[in-house]
Amino acid sequence: MAKQTFTSGQVLTAAQVNALQSNDFNQTVTTKTTSYTPTTTTDIGTRVIMNSASATTITINTSIYSAGDTFFISNIGVGVCTLTTGTCTITTAGSLAIPQYGGGTLYFTSASAAIYYPSAGPTASSGLTYIGGGALSTTSTTFSSAFSATYDNYLVTVNSLTPSTGTPNMNLTLGAATSSYVFSNMYANATAAWAFSQGSSSASSIYLNDLGASTAPQSTRIEIMSPFIAEKTTVLATGLNYTGSQWLYTVGAHTGATSFTSFTLSSSTAATLSGTVRIYGYANS
Amino acid sequence: MTTPQKTIFNIETGETTTRDFNETELAQFNADKLTAEQNAEALAKAQADKEATRAAVLTRLGLTSDELLALLS
Repeated sequence: MAKQTFTSGQVLTAAQVNALQSNDFNQTVTTKTTSYTPTTTTDIGTRVIMNSASATTITINTSIYSAGDTFFISNIGVGVCTLTTGTCTITTAGSLAIPQYGGGTLYFTSASAAIYYPSAGPTASSGLTYIGGGALSTTSTTFSSAFSATYDNYLVTVNSLTPSTGTPNMNLTLGAATSSYVFSNMYANATAAWAFSQGSSSASSIYLNDLGASTAPQSTRIEIMSPFIAEKTTVLATGLNYTGSQWLYTVGAHTGATSFTSFTLSSSTAATLSGTVRIYGYANS
Repeated sequence: MTTPQKTIFNIETGETTTRDFNETELAQFNADKLTAEQNAEALAKAQADKEATRAAVLTRLGLTSDELLALLS
Protein backbone atom coordinates (compact mmCIF):
# COMPACT_ATOMS: atom_id res chain seq x y z
CA MET A 1 0.00 0.00 0.00
CA ALA A 2 1.28 3.41 -0.91
CA LYS A 3 1.78 6.13 1.70
CA GLN A 4 -1.56 7.53 2.90
CA THR A 5 -2.53 11.01 3.98
CA PHE A 6 -5.08 11.04 6.75
CA THR A 7 -7.11 14.15 7.52
CA SER A 8 -8.57 15.46 10.73
CA GLY A 9 -11.83 13.72 11.64
CA GLN A 10 -11.34 10.90 9.17
CA VAL A 11 -12.27 7.43 10.43
CA LEU A 12 -9.24 5.12 10.40
CA THR A 13 -10.48 1.71 9.36
CA ALA A 14 -9.10 -1.68 10.33
CA ALA A 15 -8.52 -2.35 6.63
CA GLN A 16 -6.32 0.72 6.32
CA VAL A 17 -4.29 -0.22 9.39
CA ASN A 18 -3.91 -3.76 8.11
CA ALA A 19 -2.85 -2.50 4.70
CA LEU A 20 -0.23 -0.18 6.18
CA GLN A 21 1.04 -2.96 8.47
CA SER A 22 1.17 -5.26 5.50
CA ASN A 23 3.69 -3.00 3.76
CA ASP A 24 5.96 -3.20 6.79
CA PHE A 25 5.95 -6.97 6.89
CA ASN A 26 5.33 -7.85 3.25
CA GLN A 27 6.45 -4.92 1.20
CA THR A 28 4.33 -3.66 -1.63
CA VAL A 29 5.98 -4.42 -4.97
CA THR A 30 5.61 -2.67 -8.28
CA THR A 31 7.25 -4.35 -11.25
CA LYS A 32 8.42 -2.29 -14.22
CA THR A 33 9.44 -3.83 -17.52
CA THR A 34 10.52 -0.62 -19.23
CA SER A 35 12.37 2.52 -18.23
CA TYR A 36 10.59 4.43 -15.51
CA THR A 37 10.28 8.08 -14.50
CA PRO A 38 8.27 8.48 -11.28
CA THR A 39 5.81 11.35 -11.37
CA THR A 40 4.03 10.70 -8.06
CA THR A 41 5.07 9.64 -4.57
CA THR A 42 3.40 6.24 -4.95
CA ASP A 43 6.72 4.37 -4.56
CA ILE A 44 7.67 5.80 -1.16
CA GLY A 45 8.25 3.02 1.35
CA THR A 46 7.72 0.30 -1.25
CA ARG A 47 9.85 -1.79 -3.57
CA VAL A 48 10.21 -1.13 -7.30
CA ILE A 49 11.38 -4.15 -9.25
CA MET A 50 12.87 -3.72 -12.71
CA ASN A 51 12.55 -6.73 -14.98
CA SER A 52 13.78 -6.21 -18.51
CA ALA A 53 16.07 -8.18 -20.81
CA SER A 54 17.45 -4.92 -22.19
CA ALA A 55 18.97 -1.94 -20.41
CA THR A 56 16.58 0.38 -18.60
CA THR A 57 16.73 3.59 -16.60
CA ILE A 58 14.94 5.09 -13.63
CA THR A 59 14.98 8.83 -14.02
CA ILE A 60 14.49 10.94 -10.90
CA ASN A 61 13.23 14.50 -11.14
CA THR A 62 12.89 17.22 -8.52
CA SER A 63 9.87 18.23 -6.48
CA ILE A 64 8.28 14.78 -6.44
CA TYR A 65 9.82 13.47 -3.25
CA SER A 66 10.69 15.19 0.01
CA ALA A 67 13.55 14.90 2.49
CA GLY A 68 13.33 11.57 4.33
CA ASP A 69 11.45 9.70 1.60
CA THR A 70 12.91 6.34 0.64
CA PHE A 71 12.10 3.41 -1.59
CA PHE A 72 13.91 0.27 -2.54
CA ILE A 73 14.91 -0.60 -6.10
CA SER A 74 15.66 -4.15 -7.25
CA ASN A 75 16.68 -5.40 -10.67
CA ILE A 76 15.84 -8.98 -11.56
CA GLY A 77 16.19 -8.58 -15.33
CA VAL A 78 19.27 -9.30 -17.43
CA GLY A 79 19.35 -5.69 -18.61
CA VAL A 80 21.25 -3.31 -16.36
CA CYS A 81 19.04 -0.63 -14.81
CA THR A 82 20.74 2.73 -14.38
CA LEU A 83 19.55 5.32 -11.90
CA THR A 84 19.61 8.52 -13.89
CA THR A 85 19.72 12.09 -12.77
CA GLY A 86 16.83 13.93 -14.34
CA THR A 87 16.53 17.23 -12.54
CA CYS A 88 17.20 15.62 -9.15
CA THR A 89 20.81 15.00 -8.13
CA ILE A 90 21.69 11.41 -7.20
CA THR A 91 24.95 10.62 -5.44
CA THR A 92 26.36 7.27 -4.36
CA ALA A 93 29.54 5.70 -3.03
CA GLY A 94 28.97 2.81 -5.41
CA SER A 95 27.53 2.61 -8.86
CA LEU A 96 24.21 3.88 -10.17
CA ALA A 97 24.14 0.94 -12.58
CA ILE A 98 22.17 -1.88 -10.98
CA PRO A 99 23.08 -5.32 -12.32
CA GLN A 100 20.73 -8.30 -12.39
CA TYR A 101 19.89 -9.30 -8.80
CA GLY A 102 21.38 -6.06 -7.52
CA GLY A 103 19.46 -3.35 -5.70
CA GLY A 104 19.53 -0.66 -3.08
CA THR A 105 17.74 2.10 -1.22
CA LEU A 106 17.14 5.52 -2.74
CA TYR A 107 16.99 8.07 0.07
CA PHE A 108 16.01 11.69 -0.53
CA THR A 109 17.80 14.38 1.43
CA SER A 110 15.68 17.10 -0.15
CA ALA A 111 13.24 17.55 -3.00
CA SER A 112 16.16 17.92 -5.40
CA ALA A 113 18.82 15.55 -4.02
CA ALA A 114 18.98 11.87 -3.25
CA ILE A 115 21.58 9.32 -2.18
CA TYR A 116 21.57 5.80 -3.53
CA TYR A 117 22.82 3.11 -1.12
CA PRO A 118 23.50 0.00 -3.18
CA SER A 119 23.16 -3.26 -1.28
CA ALA A 120 24.63 -5.22 -4.16
CA GLY A 121 26.98 -3.80 -6.70
CA PRO A 122 28.28 -5.29 -9.89
CA THR A 123 30.27 -8.47 -9.48
CA ALA A 124 33.90 -7.64 -8.87
CA SER A 125 35.94 -8.69 -11.85
CA SER A 126 38.88 -10.94 -11.08
CA GLY A 127 42.28 -10.65 -12.68
CA LEU A 128 42.75 -14.39 -12.49
CA THR A 129 40.02 -16.86 -13.36
CA TYR A 130 40.07 -20.57 -12.62
CA ILE A 131 39.44 -22.42 -15.87
CA GLY A 132 39.77 -26.06 -14.86
CA GLY A 133 42.24 -28.77 -14.03
CA GLY A 134 42.59 -32.36 -13.02
CA ALA A 135 44.65 -34.95 -11.20
CA LEU A 136 47.77 -36.40 -12.76
CA SER A 137 47.74 -40.19 -12.61
CA THR A 138 49.48 -41.53 -15.71
CA THR A 139 52.80 -40.99 -17.51
CA SER A 140 51.36 -38.23 -19.67
CA THR A 141 48.36 -35.96 -19.13
CA THR A 142 46.78 -33.69 -21.73
CA PHE A 143 44.50 -30.79 -20.89
CA SER A 144 42.46 -30.13 -24.02
CA SER A 145 40.34 -27.03 -24.71
CA ALA A 146 42.39 -25.23 -22.06
CA PHE A 147 43.37 -22.24 -24.22
CA SER A 148 40.97 -19.97 -26.06
CA ALA A 149 40.56 -16.44 -27.30
CA THR A 150 39.21 -15.44 -23.87
CA TYR A 151 42.69 -15.19 -22.34
CA ASP A 152 46.10 -14.37 -23.84
CA ASN A 153 48.10 -15.64 -20.84
CA TYR A 154 47.71 -18.55 -18.44
CA LEU A 155 48.97 -19.75 -15.07
CA VAL A 156 49.23 -23.47 -14.39
CA THR A 157 50.00 -24.72 -10.89
CA VAL A 158 50.95 -28.28 -10.04
CA ASN A 159 50.79 -29.31 -6.39
CA SER A 160 51.66 -32.56 -4.61
CA LEU A 161 53.73 -33.55 -7.63
CA THR A 162 55.06 -37.06 -7.14
CA PRO A 163 56.58 -39.56 -9.59
CA SER A 164 55.86 -43.24 -8.97
CA THR A 165 59.57 -44.10 -9.11
CA GLY A 166 63.04 -42.71 -9.80
CA THR A 167 63.96 -39.17 -10.73
CA PRO A 168 62.19 -38.36 -13.99
CA ASN A 169 61.88 -34.91 -15.55
CA MET A 170 58.50 -33.30 -16.07
CA ASN A 171 58.18 -31.96 -19.61
CA LEU A 172 55.68 -29.69 -21.31
CA THR A 173 54.40 -29.86 -24.88
CA LEU A 174 51.81 -27.67 -26.57
CA GLY A 175 49.10 -29.14 -28.79
CA ALA A 176 50.53 -31.90 -30.97
CA ALA A 177 53.84 -30.09 -31.56
CA THR A 178 56.92 -32.27 -31.05
CA SER A 179 59.49 -29.81 -32.41
CA SER A 180 60.42 -26.11 -32.43
CA TYR A 181 60.85 -25.92 -28.66
CA VAL A 182 63.73 -24.01 -27.06
CA PHE A 183 64.48 -23.90 -23.35
CA SER A 184 67.11 -23.19 -20.76
CA ASN A 185 67.18 -24.47 -17.17
CA MET A 186 69.04 -22.83 -14.35
CA TYR A 187 69.48 -24.10 -10.80
CA ALA A 188 69.03 -21.60 -8.01
CA ASN A 189 71.03 -22.97 -5.12
CA ALA A 190 70.36 -22.27 -1.47
CA THR A 191 74.05 -21.84 -0.60
CA ALA A 192 75.93 -21.58 -3.88
CA ALA A 193 75.95 -19.64 -7.12
CA TRP A 194 73.18 -20.18 -9.61
CA ALA A 195 74.23 -22.57 -12.32
CA PHE A 196 73.22 -23.45 -15.82
CA SER A 197 71.78 -26.93 -15.94
CA GLN A 198 70.77 -27.74 -19.47
CA GLY A 199 69.12 -26.26 -22.50
CA SER A 200 68.29 -26.86 -26.12
CA SER A 201 67.61 -24.82 -29.22
CA SER A 202 65.77 -27.67 -30.95
CA ALA A 203 63.92 -29.71 -28.38
CA SER A 204 60.82 -31.87 -28.66
CA SER A 205 59.44 -30.49 -25.38
CA ILE A 206 60.21 -27.98 -22.66
CA TYR A 207 62.02 -29.42 -19.64
CA LEU A 208 60.15 -28.09 -16.59
CA ASN A 209 61.50 -29.71 -13.44
CA ASP A 210 63.48 -32.58 -11.94
CA LEU A 211 61.28 -34.83 -9.83
CA GLY A 212 62.17 -37.41 -7.24
CA ALA A 213 60.04 -40.19 -5.84
CA SER A 214 61.96 -40.28 -2.56
CA THR A 215 61.84 -36.52 -1.96
CA ALA A 216 58.34 -35.77 -3.27
CA PRO A 217 55.93 -34.10 -3.16
CA GLN A 218 56.99 -31.02 -5.10
CA SER A 219 55.17 -28.06 -6.61
CA THR A 220 55.71 -26.29 -9.89
CA ARG A 221 54.36 -23.01 -11.22
CA ILE A 222 54.11 -22.57 -14.98
CA GLU A 223 53.32 -19.35 -16.85
CA ILE A 224 52.24 -19.80 -20.47
CA MET A 225 52.01 -16.68 -22.60
CA SER A 226 50.17 -16.42 -25.93
CA PRO A 227 49.44 -20.12 -26.47
CA PHE A 228 46.21 -19.45 -28.38
CA ILE A 229 47.54 -16.52 -30.35
CA ALA A 230 49.25 -17.62 -33.56
CA GLU A 231 52.65 -16.39 -32.51
CA LYS A 232 55.57 -17.64 -30.41
CA THR A 233 54.45 -19.13 -27.07
CA THR A 234 56.63 -18.26 -24.10
CA VAL A 235 56.89 -20.44 -21.00
CA LEU A 236 58.32 -19.58 -17.58
CA ALA A 237 58.38 -22.19 -14.84
CA THR A 238 59.87 -22.68 -11.42
CA GLY A 239 59.75 -25.15 -8.60
CA LEU A 240 61.85 -26.82 -5.93
CA ASN A 241 63.55 -29.79 -7.53
CA TYR A 242 64.08 -33.26 -6.14
CA THR A 243 67.16 -32.25 -4.10
CA GLY A 244 65.07 -30.10 -1.78
CA SER A 245 67.73 -27.37 -1.82
CA GLN A 246 67.68 -26.26 -5.45
CA TRP A 247 65.03 -24.49 -7.47
CA LEU A 248 64.88 -25.16 -11.15
CA TYR A 249 64.08 -22.06 -13.20
CA THR A 250 62.95 -22.70 -16.73
CA VAL A 251 62.57 -20.28 -19.59
CA GLY A 252 61.30 -21.76 -22.81
CA ALA A 253 59.25 -21.20 -25.90
CA HIS A 254 57.62 -22.78 -28.89
CA THR A 255 59.05 -20.71 -31.71
CA GLY A 256 56.41 -21.41 -34.33
CA ALA A 257 53.51 -19.06 -35.07
CA THR A 258 51.04 -21.67 -33.91
CA SER A 259 47.71 -21.43 -32.10
CA PHE A 260 47.34 -24.09 -29.41
CA THR A 261 44.26 -25.15 -27.45
CA SER A 262 45.88 -27.85 -25.31
CA PHE A 263 49.02 -28.72 -23.37
CA THR A 264 50.53 -31.91 -22.02
CA LEU A 265 52.59 -32.63 -18.90
CA SER A 266 54.69 -35.79 -19.20
CA SER A 267 57.23 -37.80 -17.30
CA SER A 268 60.51 -38.35 -19.13
CA THR A 269 60.45 -42.00 -18.03
CA ALA A 270 57.67 -44.58 -17.81
CA ALA A 271 57.04 -43.44 -14.23
CA THR A 272 53.53 -42.19 -13.65
CA LEU A 273 53.02 -38.75 -12.15
CA SER A 274 50.49 -37.84 -9.50
CA GLY A 275 49.58 -34.32 -8.53
CA THR A 276 46.92 -31.66 -8.78
CA VAL A 277 46.85 -29.36 -11.79
CA ARG A 278 44.95 -26.07 -11.79
CA ILE A 279 44.68 -23.80 -14.83
CA TYR A 280 43.92 -20.09 -14.56
CA GLY A 281 43.46 -17.41 -17.19
CA TYR A 282 44.79 -13.87 -16.78
CA ALA A 283 42.10 -11.33 -17.63
CA ASN A 284 42.90 -9.41 -20.81
CA SER A 285 41.39 -6.26 -19.33
CA MET B 1 57.37 -53.43 -20.18
CA THR B 2 53.91 -51.96 -19.58
CA THR B 3 52.89 -49.40 -22.18
CA PRO B 4 52.81 -45.90 -20.67
CA GLN B 5 49.39 -44.31 -20.47
CA LYS B 6 48.02 -40.89 -21.30
CA THR B 7 45.09 -39.18 -19.58
CA ILE B 8 43.16 -36.48 -21.42
CA PHE B 9 41.08 -33.92 -19.54
CA ASN B 10 38.73 -31.92 -21.72
CA ILE B 11 38.49 -28.66 -19.82
CA GLU B 12 35.46 -27.52 -21.83
CA THR B 13 33.30 -30.64 -21.42
CA GLY B 14 34.77 -32.14 -18.25
CA GLU B 15 35.25 -35.46 -20.05
CA THR B 16 38.25 -37.57 -18.99
CA THR B 17 39.74 -40.48 -20.92
CA THR B 18 42.76 -42.66 -20.21
CA ARG B 19 44.43 -44.83 -22.83
CA ASP B 20 47.76 -46.43 -23.75
CA PHE B 21 50.27 -44.36 -25.73
CA ASN B 22 49.67 -44.76 -29.44
CA GLU B 23 52.55 -45.69 -31.78
CA THR B 24 53.49 -42.09 -32.53
CA GLU B 25 53.48 -41.12 -28.85
CA LEU B 26 55.46 -44.20 -27.91
CA ALA B 27 58.09 -43.49 -30.57
CA GLN B 28 58.39 -39.87 -29.40
CA PHE B 29 58.55 -41.00 -25.77
CA ASN B 30 61.38 -43.44 -26.49
CA ALA B 31 63.28 -40.87 -28.54
CA ASP B 32 62.91 -38.26 -25.77
CA LYS B 33 63.96 -40.79 -23.15
CA LEU B 34 67.10 -41.65 -25.12
CA THR B 35 67.95 -37.97 -25.58
CA ALA B 36 67.43 -37.29 -21.86
CA GLU B 37 69.70 -40.18 -20.93
CA GLN B 38 72.39 -38.99 -23.36
CA ASN B 39 72.11 -35.44 -22.04
CA ALA B 40 72.39 -36.67 -18.44
CA GLU B 41 75.46 -38.73 -19.30
CA ALA B 42 77.06 -35.83 -21.13
CA LEU B 43 76.33 -33.49 -18.23
CA ALA B 44 77.74 -35.94 -15.68
CA LYS B 45 80.87 -36.41 -17.81
CA ALA B 46 81.32 -32.66 -18.23
CA GLN B 47 81.02 -32.15 -14.47
CA ALA B 48 83.46 -34.99 -13.75
CA ASP B 49 85.94 -33.60 -16.30
CA LYS B 50 85.64 -30.14 -14.79
CA GLU B 51 86.22 -31.50 -11.29
CA ALA B 52 89.23 -33.53 -12.47
CA THR B 53 90.73 -30.47 -14.15
CA ARG B 54 90.16 -28.39 -11.03
CA ALA B 55 91.79 -31.03 -8.83
CA ALA B 56 94.77 -31.29 -11.18
CA VAL B 57 95.32 -27.52 -11.13
CA LEU B 58 95.11 -27.42 -7.33
CA THR B 59 97.65 -30.26 -7.10
CA ARG B 60 100.05 -28.38 -9.40
CA LEU B 61 99.65 -25.29 -7.24
CA GLY B 62 100.03 -27.26 -4.04
CA LEU B 63 96.72 -25.96 -2.61
CA THR B 64 93.71 -27.60 -1.05
CA SER B 65 90.14 -26.64 -1.99
CA ASP B 66 89.70 -24.86 1.35
CA GLU B 67 92.90 -22.86 0.83
CA LEU B 68 91.74 -21.82 -2.62
CA LEU B 69 88.36 -20.73 -1.25
CA ALA B 70 90.15 -18.71 1.46
CA LEU B 71 92.20 -16.97 -1.20
CA LEU B 72 89.16 -16.16 -3.32
CA SER B 73 86.87 -15.02 -0.48
